[in-house]
Amino acid sequence: MTTIARTGMKATNPLVPEPATVSEVIIETGNIRTVRLTFDDTETMKNFTFLPGQIGQLGILGAGESTFAISSPPSQKEYFQFSVMKTGVVTSAIHELAEGDRVSVRAPMGCAFPTDDWKGKNIIVAGGGIGMAPLRSLVMYLLDHRADYGELTLVYGARTPEDLCFEADRDVWEQRDDVNFISTIDNVCSGWDGCVGLVPSILEDTAPSPDNSVAITCGPPVMIKFTLQSLERMGFREEQIYTTLERRMKCGIGLCGRCNVGAKYVCTDGPVFSLADIRDMPDEL
Amino acid sequence: MRFLAEEKLEALLHLLAKSSSLWTPTAIEDAAGTVTFEPWKPGTAPVLDRFTTLSAKELLLPATEKLFSFTYSLSEGEESVEIEPEGQTGETILFGARACDAKAIKVLDALFMQPAGEAYGDDQYRRRRLDLTVITIACTTCDAACFCSSFENGPAEKSGSDVFLYPVEGGWIAEGITDRGGDLIGGDSFTDSGIDPPELVVTRSVDIAGLQEKLPEIFANIDFWQEATAKCLSCGYCTYTCPTCYCFNIFDEMRSDREGERLRGWDACIFNLYTRETSGHNPRPTIAKRYRNRIGHKFSYYPANQGETLCTGCGRCIRGCPAGLDIRDVLTGVKEL
Repeated sequence: MTTIARTGMKATNPLVPEPATVSEVIIETGNIRTVRLTFDDTETMKNFTFLPGQIGQLGILGAGESTFAISSPPSQKEYFQFSVMKTGVVTSAIHELAEGDRVSVRAPMGCAFPTDDWKGKNIIVAGGGIGMAPLRSLVMYLLDHRADYGELTLVYGARTPEDLCFEADRDVWEQRDDVNFISTIDNVCSGWDGCVGLVPSILEDTAPSPDNSVAITCGPPVMIKFTLQSLERMGFREEQIYTTLERRMKCGIGLCGRCNVGAKYVCTDGPVFSLADIRDMPDEL
Repeated sequence: MRFLAEEKLEALLHLLAKSSSLWTPTAIEDAAGTVTFEPWKPGTAPVLDRFTTLSAKELLLPATEKLFSFTYSLSEGEESVEIEPEGQTGETILFGARACDAKAIKVLDALFMQPAGEAYGDDQYRRRRLDLTVITIACTTCDAACFCSSFENGPAEKSGSDVFLYPVEGGWIAEGITDRGGDLIGGDSFTDSGIDPPELVVTRSVDIAGLQEKLPEIFANIDFWQEATAKCLSCGYCTYTCPTCYCFNIFDEMRSDREGERLRGWDACIFNLYTRETSGHNPRPTIAKRYRNRIGHKFSYYPANQGETLCTGCGRCIRGCPAGLDIRDVLTGVKEL
């Protein structure tokens, strides 16, 4: 298994959250919003550290809490953020949030991408839709430590141009010449002069070499399924491919029981797993 | 060894109840003859001739408990929120547990008593556990559902107990298992005794050796699981009465428009909604898949992660299952595959 130290969890009751305040809300798409947050306690905010891929519980006291990937990079010390798709009770309440509103946060949780092990390697990142949330944190982390890594290829796709998140970041990635960034949409549409096609096929067209490389993919299950097939066709081995798993979670600390896949708990053993890890799990995804 | 005379029991209970919250097996006045662990009331005799319907896990993991309360307040146009964690618990004594109940506490400790910081453990469990003394009544009889002899030490299992009381003519032989238990039986209610403890019962036994490896191997055999669980109603009786089933839910309740509580309550992996995601996707959408997870968790995943089998053979899930599903038959079926 990928063994990555869990960092940052306080020694006090981890089921009791810290109050935090919304500093900014960004409307990403029709059903995705990013909420930027600061912990109310300045010491907590100052000491808050995490790594890309780690998750947190964002809650609204009275409505409940849900698990999301942290979508900001660790280097961003002014705030941290979650990007949330509106689907159920808690996410709908999160979509009502405005600047200055109070929320509850338990973070960070889970294991991060093993970025230290990837030093010196070429990195291929393939994201789809809201699956870009943990990958945004990762890409920004890699850019913060650009000299430590080889070539960086980033393919980000969504159904339509309106479904692509992180517009400001995409502009930055377009401009940089040390990232091969391709954004793509599923079908031709007017006003879009960029790439058209599904993430797996665009990835195969781009054809990054599997030599000394790792590939990270996150997105809707069907996209992950076909991206994994494409990567294997391109010669990537299971140990070179990483993804993050999602499960319904409550506690986030391996106690409440619901996110296990066999003996592994997505909240504490994951959410980051290599494809080799996943192949060792019972087929219960 | 020490001796507790029958006529000294009430005085002992009075003494214990003075400094602690004392829980004993108590008959609920219902048609089913339900016996549960309840706070002891002077004048009532503990029910020691029958098993309790519910286990004693409620002392450590209440069916519903408050994690914290919160209050929103508005001052000079600025909203703030205050979070107040749940406070301390006090000394608690569990009198009249069985060896399987006490062992279950030890089994749960492996997960819930992990030190905070490294792994996570559970703060509220830990506080209650450190304040808990367990006085166990050794079993000299059993019923058809008992199967603790399947496990190492069987009815003589002492882990989780502070005091072991062996029933004998006119009272109980008392053995201190821990220092805390030794101190307790050093008191005036007990006298020195040279009597040998009685023979303990031997219950039905199921061969559980190798299940930790076998269960993942037969995971994909869904036909077996469907047949094995055809009777299951997914009602959750087994999980709620089980002394080691610990899964929980977390949810918020408002007490007013400004104040509320975050609570946790027992949940069960046998319920459809337990793992169902907002998208509608459910990794365990059928009873067979959920029951497979329950057995896998008890006899493979928990042993792999925590080094303990998440079952002590108390038989409650067999005694009360409305569909007559017998976990021993399922385990035997797995072994025979």
